Amino acid sequence: MPGRNRSRATFPQLWRFAEEYLLLLPLGAAIALAWVNVDAESYFRVAYALAFPVNDVAMTFFFALMTKEVVEATAPDGVLHPWRRALLPVIAAAVATMVSALLHVGMVDLLEEPALIVSWPVAFATDLAFSYFIARIIFGRHPVVPFVLLLGIASDALGLVAVALFDPTETHHYTQGAVLLAAAIAVALILRRARVRSFWPYLLVSGGISWYAFWRSSLHPALALVPIMPFLPHAARDPGFFVDARADARDALSQFEVWWRHPAQIALFFFGLVNAGVPLQSLEPGTWALPIGVLAGRPIGVLVGAGLALAIGLHLPTRLGWRDLVVVGFIVAIGFSVGLFFSTALLPPGQLRAETSMGVLMTLVGAPLALVSARLLRVGRFGKTEG
Amino acid sequence: MTSSLRRLIPIVVLVTAVVCPALLGQAFRLPNRPDSVKFAAIGDNGTGDRPQYEVADQMTKLQSTFPYDLVIMLGDNMYGGQKPADFVKKFEEPYRALLGRRVKFQASLGNHDRPENVNYELYGMNGQRYYTYVRRNVRFFALDSTLMDRKQLDWLDAGLKDAREDWKIPYFHHPLYSNASRHGSSVDLRLLLEPIFLKYGVQVVFSGHDHVYERLKPQKGIYYFVSGAAGQLRKGNMDPSDQTAASFDQDQSFMLVEVAGDEMFFESVSRTGRVVDSGVINRQRRPSN
Repeated sequence: MPGRNRSRATFPQLWRFAEEYLLLLPLGAAIALAWVNVDAESYFRVAYALAFPVNDVAMTFFFALMTKEVVEATAPDGVLHPWRRALLPVIAAAVATMVSALLHVGMVDLLEEPALIVSWPVAFATDLAFSYFIARIIFGRHPVVPFVLLLGIASDALGLVAVALFDPTETHHYTQGAVLLAAAIAVALILRRARVRSFWPYLLVSGGISWYAFWRSSLHPALALVPIMPFLPHAARDPGFFVDARADARDALSQFEVWWRHPAQIALFFFGLVNAGVPLQSLEPGTWALPIGVLAGRPIGVLVGAGLALAIGLHLPTRLGWRDLVVVGFIVAIGFSVGLFFSTALLPPGQLRAETSMGVLMTLVGAPLALVSARLLRVGRFGKTEG
Repeated sequence: MTSSLRRLIPIVVLVTAVVCPALLGQAFRLPNRPDSVKFAAIGDNGTGDRPQYEVADQMTKLQSTFPYDLVIMLGDNMYGGQKPADFVKKFEEPYRALLGRRVKFQASLGNHDRPENVNYELYGMNGQRYYTYVRRNVRFFALDSTLMDRKQLDWLDAGLKDAREDWKIPYFHHPLYSNASRHGSSVDLRLLLEPIFLKYGVQVVFSGHDHVYERLKPQKGIYYFVSGAAGQLRKGNMDPSDQTAASFDQDQSFMLVEVAGDEMFFESVSRTGRVVDSGVINRQRRPSN
């Protein structure tokens, strides 16, 4: 019984997790898809009106919460502790994202829509919550799950860099932004040194300056809290990925989560509503380039990347085999929330964004592909010895 | 015998004047004034296939009598491979005669064009995705509707605000209004661009993307043309609505336009030289002008 209670405390019920992390965004996306194809004008009027408060302000809290998970994962018991542990998945992620992006670039040429070449950074996206959910369904509490999370985090981090550096509209003003961001981080550092335990000063002062720095640089301000979150005091040990913070938690990072968890979920719903409205008439064959690139590229890339990592002397986590890696490749191909964000951050409204966003929605096929491949390869819950 | 032949000459001339235009289609209606701005508009042309060459031949033929010196390109200037040999096959060869007569091509890019094609010298883009230029009393704005970012919208707003020419003509690939079944209107772009057009008194807009010809009835006072069949064609793809003033989807086509003072004359010409639509637009004077 104690073990059972502990497992309940450590791992959230999957259904509750799904309710919190997986339902609202698809609901918003489904409404958007239906709406735009029935009455495009009214949809785009609403979407454009909501774009700034949703994409540039509200989504800041979603990415802050994602960053919180990553920051906590660097604490003892976390998947990123110690850092060495992350080396193999980082190499695998680098290769897997490169292979996906290269396949995407090749496919847009093959499908004769070369203007879509600029959307290659979107091929880097992994939806952490969706991937975690599918990994848990297939593998239970197998070491594959933290491996999936590490791959996802590394892919998204690389994607953020690619989105920032390879903006096709070339509107960045990095120098001004860098100075302001340095000021925001300095304030956060001072607050931490002063042992400020409330998250509000970090959010309002450092976060405010950082948001302006991102906005001023024409980088997506939804990422404004990403460089600030690591400075918030956090618990000594990681409670686990996507484990809800206790309401009575005293550290700033947990308090932040308790306060912003539900508003961030509402933001996700509106994010789906505002960004997933794709008029089906605008689609061309090039739409297939992204899902093909990602769904084929990730499993191949993960295998090749892991092979390279092994060749330089790194080791796969215990009980993780090559067949598992194929399934992992399909799981981390799911781009969804992060993919839609990359698409929105990278591309202005119009055909390219519509096609790229639809391609991102198609990467959800990674979920059934992961389940089917797990069954065919007899891994996880379909294997003889369940993890 | 000689006097009989002489008597026949006016009859032959009369018959030629009446019968030939009838055989070729409607009579040529552009006023062809010496001091007017004359240009052609082509969209979705760069297939390298026979119909593109036939349209180009028709353009060359008409340039002899209607000496336009500008061709605006409405995007998807090239399909498939876009290597140097493709630029020859899909652009330089079909339009060789026009290029030889120093007709200037000014391109906008579509979703089938490679982004780096802005550097192709004969497209006249000087490495810019969007740019503006003037011909007499007309200011053209070539836009990049594939990547309609805030910076471009601000540039357009400022450019239209500063423009002192009588006519301001934006052209770009994706149509803000279209009644072709395949793509139709780009409503997302319409909500971004139309307010700017209205603010500064734009009266005429050219686009491609749908592989048909369509002239819309004025939408909020603006005349929109879709001319995306100078190489590609989606036969029978038009689904005319009450917005449609005229359309043609049975053959490839291109446009000839003449801006003469406060009047803009236009014709849409098919691959075989038939005039499938024509008309005149009168400039509306704005109180501030």
